[in-house]
Amino acid sequence: MKQPMPLPAANSKTPEPDAAPLLAAGILLAKRGIYGVVWFGEDMFVTARFGPLVEFVEIGTPVGDSVLALVGLEPELVRIRSEPGAVIDLPSVSIVSTSDTATPRANLTVIWAQEQKSYLLLVGRSSSRSDLEVELSRQMRARLIAEAAVTAKSKELARVNTDLERANSDLEAYASIISHDLKAPMRAFRYMVDDLEAELATGASATVQSKLSALREQSKRMSGMLTALLDYSSVTAKSDMLAETDTHALVTAIVASMPRPPHFKIAISGDWPRMTTLAAPLDLVLRNLVDNAIKHHDDDTGSVTIAACDRHEVLLIEVADDGPGIRPEHQTAVFLPFLKLERSGSTDGHGMGLALVRRTVEGVGGSLTLSSSAPEVRGAIFTIFWPKTLLL
Amino acid sequence: MIARKVMLLGEIGVGKSSIVQRLVFDRFELTYKPTIGVDVYRYEVPDRLGRERMSLIVWDTDGNFGEAIFKHVYMKEASAAIIVSDITRPQTIATMVGLTEGFRQALPGRHVAMVLNKLDLPHEPESTVVPADAAKLGFTLYRTSAKTGSDVHTVFHEAADAIARRKL
Repeated sequence: MKQPMPLPAANSKTPEPDAAPLLAAGILLAKRGIYGVVWFGEDMFVTARFGPLVEFVEIGTPVGDSVLALVGLEPELVRIRSEPGAVIDLPSVSIVSTSDTATPRANLTVIWAQEQKSYLLLVGRSSSRSDLEVELSRQMRARLIAEAAVTAKSKELARVNTDLERANSDLEAYASIISHDLKAPMRAFRYMVDDLEAELATGASATVQSKLSALREQSKRMSGMLTALLDYSSVTAKSDMLAETDTHALVTAIVASMPRPPHFKIAISGDWPRMTTLAAPLDLVLRNLVDNAIKHHDDDTGSVTIAACDRHEVLLIEVADDGPGIRPEHQTAVFLPFLKLERSGSTDGHGMGLALVRRTVEGVGGSLTLSSSAPEVRGAIFTIFWPKTLLL
Repeated sequence: MIARKVMLLGEIGVGKSSIVQRLVFDRFELTYKPTIGVDVYRYEVPDRLGRERMSLIVWDTDGNFGEAIFKHVYMKEASAAIIVSDITRPQTIATMVGLTEGFRQALPGRHVAMVLNKLDLPHEPESTVVPADAAKLGFTLYRTSAKTGSDVHTVFHEAADAIARRKL
């Protein structure tokens, strides 16, 4: 193999006395921060080395075996041969061999020595990378991780805030219910008592009787409203309510117990699985929806279909009727507490049914949708997305 | 045996060095030591029937380079890139997608793998889903833990297969 220059002993630590010029050259290189020199040929085999930073480089082996950073750079090495003055600079490289010994961090420079037909690899200490820079990087990483933690906390806070807003809005709805809806029967009580006093003063006992009867009705209505309100506020899912449930048996029992006109039809279809779920809330939801469909139907020979579809994560249940349907402008309002669309007295109840159903479904992490194209098309479909993994 | 160059890219502190340390030395260090510049490792891929014996020269890069790395001489002749993010830090996932796009433009046709690292740490469940931007780029997304070693070797073995198959 061709030697680029008469080195005294390529890997010797003590130069011979006649190597003074080389020593001077070595001192010059060291002053420039270059502590190692490696020569390798066009065939990429190492022919000589000199200096403490390159003791790991083996002579007579491919340069890429020792200096991993040169692997793959063969096209670049070929290129610099044809471009006078061209160099390859690889700053701040540390080579970690499979034996787990890292070379000191070094700046590598490869030049082509045309006269010697050989490559010269200069290995300089990477002095620009100080402890300060390492510390800066460490601090930067700590800051980034802290920032990410703050972002995660902010997200969590936003989630809690949303829950709080929902709770506040519930509270406002309650305040409105208490102040408005329950005030009406209270006002009626007061007026009736005033009237009774006046009637008693005149001795009109027949009228008193009728007023007392009305008073009893108002009291009954108020009591019913308070019970419904209590039910509505107490809808919270609890893990101890979980039970292995045969959903088909559950819906069959609901249908069997549901009062309805003799020719009114209720059909059950689809895939009803056995699953561990909150049976009582599911019962409440289905019972209310079927009850609503029957109660608001305008034909004694109408029909309701309850169908289920077992999806991977969710049990999809549809309660569809062929009644008059719900007009689009009423489709939001039907879910509000104490709101009845029909004239008072046309059906039983306190207008809490659908509000209670929606609150129950959402309480277990599910959702409820309503689809109806009344008055053009008869019927309404309530779709329940009942999660099979419950959020408790 | 052939040797091929693989770049390990990603934002600072995502665990690039931990991944390569797990790959080459099968170890995990709790103390963080930032990489300044590049550390170059050799990993001999276990032989597989039908694939030439291969060692991967893994360039573990300084996370501070960002997209400037694509103009750097370090990138010359790389056959593949493993682009890493931290599953607990969404910002690093966005950076990973940006680096993937950058690498694709700088070295078209090379193998690219995206890696969501630190799977052992608590994270948002949605973080394990392929980000829409990543899915659009069409590269394989891996979920790894350098701490437990989960799927670290898979990333590199599949990279070696792709390099051999596509003659990169």
